[in-house]
Parts: sequence; C-alpha cells; structure tokens
Amino acid sequence: MKKYLLKRLWHGIITILFISTATFFAMHMVPGDPLSSEKAITPETRKALEAEYGIDKPLFIQYGIFLKKTFIHGDLGFSYTNRNTKVNEIIANHFPVSAKLGLLAIFFATSGAIMWGAIAAKYRNKLPDYTSMVLVILFISVPSFVFASGAQLLIVKLNAATGWNLPYRGTDSFVSQIVPAMILGLGTMAFLTRIMRSSLLEVIHSDYIRTARAKGLSPKQIFFSHELRNAVLPVITIIGPAIAAITTGSFVIETIFTIPGLGKFFVQAVQQNDYTVIMGTTVFYGSFLVLTVLAVDIVYGFIDPRIQVEK
Amino acid sequence: MSKILEINNLHVEFDTYGGTVHAVRGLDLAVQKGETLAVVGESGCGKSVSFQALMGLLPMPPGRISSGSANFQGNDLLKLKESEMRPLRGSQIAMIFQDPMSSLNPTKKIGDQIAESLIIHKGMSKRDALKESLKLLELTRIGEAPKRLNQYPFEFSGGMLQRVMIAMAIACKPQLLIADEPTTALDVTIQDQILALLKDLQKEYEMSLILITHDLGVVARMADQVAVMYAGQIVENGSVDDIFYRSAHPYTLGLKQALPNSQEGKSAQLIPIDGSPPDLFSPPKACAYAARCPMARKVCLEKAPLIFEASSKHLSRCWLQHPQAPSHPELFCGERK
Repeated sequence: MKKYLLKRLWHGIITILFISTATFFAMHMVPGDPLSSEKAITPETRKALEAEYGIDKPLFIQYGIFLKKTFIHGDLGFSYTNRNTKVNEIIANHFPVSAKLGLLAIFFATSGAIMWGAIAAKYRNKLPDYTSMVLVILFISVPSFVFASGAQLLIVKLNAATGWNLPYRGTDSFVSQIVPAMILGLGTMAFLTRIMRSSLLEVIHSDYIRTARAKGLSPKQIFFSHELRNAVLPVITIIGPAIAAITTGSFVIETIFTIPGLGKFFVQAVQQNDYTVIMGTTVFYGSFLVLTVLAVDIVYGFIDPRIQVEK
Repeated sequence: MSKILEINNLHVEFDTYGGTVHAVRGLDLAVQKGETLAVVGESGCGKSVSFQALMGLLPMPPGRISSGSANFQGNDLLKLKESEMRPLRGSQIAMIFQDPMSSLNPTKKIGDQIAESLIIHKGMSKRDALKESLKLLELTRIGEAPKRLNQYPFEFSGGMLQRVMIAMAIACKPQLLIADEPTTALDVTIQDQILALLKDLQKEYEMSLILITHDLGVVARMADQVAVMYAGQIVENGSVDDIFYRSAHPYTLGLKQALPNSQEGKSAQLIPIDGSPPDLFSPPKACAYAARCPMARKVCLEKAPLIFEASSKHLSRCWLQHPQAPSHPELFCGERK
C-alpha cells in the first residue's frame, strides 16, 4: 500500500510538472504581457516594472525561476493585477469558500444522481425514465448562468410575494449557499444520473440479483445490500475529477451569487495575462486533481474488493 | 408418499419484437416428498424457464405466465402475490443456479451472503446467522470454513462457489430444492463431488429435489423420477428405470443413442438426432418431434399426440403408444403387446 502510494505520488508530480510546463509556455505565447493592460506607462516605468517582476529575463531563465520558486519554496509569487497580494494568499483565502460550496454541490449531485438514476432504471422505458432522461439532457446542455439567474429571480420574486427574506446572494449563512450549490451541481448530477442508470440496469439483470431474489429478499433489501454497491463504481470514477473541478470554484455561479470564491481568478487571470495567478491556479488545480483521482482509486478498493491496490 | 409440488398445464410465453415465443406449452409435473425429479431436455426446451416462472424469478415483461397452476402445500404459487411469495422463496423453496461464478454478489462477503436468508426468514441476529452460516459451510465440506466466511467470491474456485450456493440454498431447510444445471459449469471431478453432496444433504434434510439438467449421466445417478422435455412440453415421464430401460418415446430413445457409450470395450457409433427443435414462435400444432422422428407416421404430422400410459405411472406423449399403432422393437409400448 505504502509503495503503491509513493509510486502514485511520484507519477502525480510528473503529471503536474507536465501541466505547468505546457501552461507556462502556452501562456507566454499569448500576445501581450501582464503590463500591457496598464494605462499609458512610460517606457522607463515599464522597464522598471519588468525588472521588478523578472519578465525582462530570457524565457527559459524565467521558467527555471518559476520551477524553483514553486516546487522548492512553494512560493507562487505576487499577483500582477492585485499588487502586494501573494498568489498563495489568494488561494488560501478564496479556495475554502469555493470548496465549501463545491462540496455541498457534490453532495447534492451525488445523492440526487444515485436516487434519480435508480428511479430511472427501475421504471425503465416508462414515464419516469423518459422524463428524467429529457431533464438530464436539459441540465447538461443549458448553461448554468440560465439556471443561476433564473433561480435568483425566482427567490427575489418569492420574497416580494410572500414577504419572506430568503437569501439570494452572498455567503452569510448556510441557507444562502443551498441554491447556488444545487445549481453548481446540476450538470454533474445530470451526467451522473445517466451513468448510474446504465450501470444499475446492468447490475439488475445480473445473475447474482436473481440469486438474491431467489433468497426471498424484498426489492428494497436487494437495492441497498446488493445493487447499490455494485452499481456505484462508475459514478465514483467520475466523482474524483468532478470534485476537483467543482470545489475549485465556478466563475459564473460565484459571480451571479456574489460568492467570493476562487472561480473568478481562473478567468480574470487569463484575461489580464496575470502570469503568476495563471500558473498558481493551474498548479493548484492540477495537484488537487491528481490527489482526488488517487483518492478515488483507493476508495475503489473499499467498494469492490476485487480492485484492491497492491499491498 | 405425498406430492409436495404439482404443476398443471403451465404455459409460459415471451413477448418479443419478433412475436410471441411459446417457451412452455402445458407442463404437467408432480414431485413427491423426499424424492428427486430430474427434468431433462436439450437447450431451449423450456426447463429453466418453467421453474424460474414457478419461483417468480422470470423477468415479466417480456415473460408471461399465460395459464396453469402450481400447487405447493396448498398454495398455488402462480396465483400468489409477490409479497406472499417472498416468504416462501429461499425458506420453503430454494434454488441453485448454473453458473456459480456469476450467481454470487462479487462485493459481499460469503458469510454475509449466506447469513442473509437466515436473517430475513428466521429473524436471527447477524451474529447468530453468521454462526449458523459457518455450520452450513462446514456441512458443504469446504476446507477452512471460518476463514472462508470472511472472503469474497473472487477468492473461491467454481466448485467451492457452488458449495457456497448450496449452503445458501439449504440455510433455511427448504422442503424443495430446485437445482438448475448445478454442475454444468464445473469440471467432471468437481461435478461428482457436488452431486454426492447434494444427494447427502437431500437425505439428511428430507428435501425434495428438482434437478434440471441435460446430462443423462447425472440423471441416472441422481433421479428417482425423470421428466423428458421437448419444445416446451413433457414428452415422457416415469421412473428412472422406465426412462432408461423402457423408453416409451422416440425422443428419449434418440437421446440415449446420442450418448457416448464406451462400455463393453468397443466404441459404438454416436447417433445424433437429425434436424433442430421446432421454432417456438409458431410451434407445430401436431407432434413437435414428428419432423425429426424416425418413427413418425402420418397422424404424427396432423394431430397433437395424446398422453398415453405406457405402464403404471409411466406416461408418453406419442401416437405410437396408441393401442392401434404398430409396434417398434426399440420402443417400449407397455403391457399391451
């Protein structure tokens, strides 16, 4: 187990190195640099700033410095656009906000998908199945800002009509996060529902479910003690990357519901060529993804004993 | 002896896009208390389907029981509601399936899988049920049973898994055990052990056993009564001696001739049955076997044969048993000639 973990971590480090190298050079190939959005700076000021940030040096030197700072000192540098703010601080301050919302979203997505997928599989080719499959397509294909703004409008109207005071933005309370989390998890839930449905259909028709029925178990007992565990494996596979994607924040949802998460930094940094923030968020996201995928592989072994990792 | 199960006129059909498959077409069977009934027939003749329908295990739709009754201890199994059937399944009537590798849940410990039926049918606590499971495993002669209890199916061989299946089936001391080709997926030496085990357990528990098989060797070894099935019907039904020594249906004769026979030290030629079974989308109105039968007469192709009693409790669905039919030297035609 220990050996396996070390091996996987080593692979993870190589993966992250690849990701950061590719991003670093791609980023520098994009026209412009962090200073080009500055309004009317004199060539002297520009020179001084370039020297300050070290972007006057040759690209490979810059790359070397980046590698050394990031992977040896764990220092992601100062942001170009938010002066005096370190990228490490940005992540430390904003990631927990996104993560809280994201975990809630994952919870909604997974529980909803398992329940919904089970219903669709049980009523296969009947009305509940068709209805849910149409909704699934809707939730996957309609962009989240439509649902987000729609939900927000609904809350505001509801407040106006009933005199309630339901929160429609911000992160003041747990309640205010429920709607954004549900909408954030909607696409993932829809996708997972489909996977749960097809995986469950396969399990339902397997021989060991016939055995369970021959033993006299009720449909409920069969579902919880035989079908669920066998059907949930493909869902777990997807949840790993989904956790990484969702807990690192969503630009759209966080903007609409004014949640100070990490999401906007991914987008803004690219728009403004904020080199350090781009690299910082990429390395962070990459490492996080590698870890969740590893975690999923370990969880596999607990769910299906046939997939035990090497001892 | 009293009957424990009596099936009358069972019809099972499957609705498919291509039409309706008439898989079982009027099955009549009776099983006596404590005896072994073997149901023999080639693949697709409706043996498994009949008993899965009986147990309520047939996926419906597409399956459909269009008529018939099955009397088990005063209950008509085919009329029972699912909720009334459930307490019988696994406790009064248990079933063993063909492929033990896929018939056990891969993500559940063996012990838990055996304990399950004890918990639901006998209301045992999980601890007691596991203790009982250990006894059952030992009864099926699995080595290192205590260790085995905590293992998963993938750590077992096929023969051991079939022992687990048997342990599971007999957990609640059922009156009737239906074994659907229990040894087909196993190699011959293991086959022998499993059959011996089944026979011993049957005696010990005084169970009735229905053995579904296409292996006449297994039949000869295990059965008291034999029912030969063809195209969804029983064509011959009698004691094991009746079937083997006084075959009263040409299909039974055909099956016997197709058996490898290396006795007497010389290799006799295998005689296969020509042709293939009838299309069950539109089964023949007359005798289903007539098209392949070397002894078929005109009437066989025109009218469905009646059931004749070749001798006491030895039934044959063949026109050649008619008092006016000509006799054939190979075919047993009762005391009338």
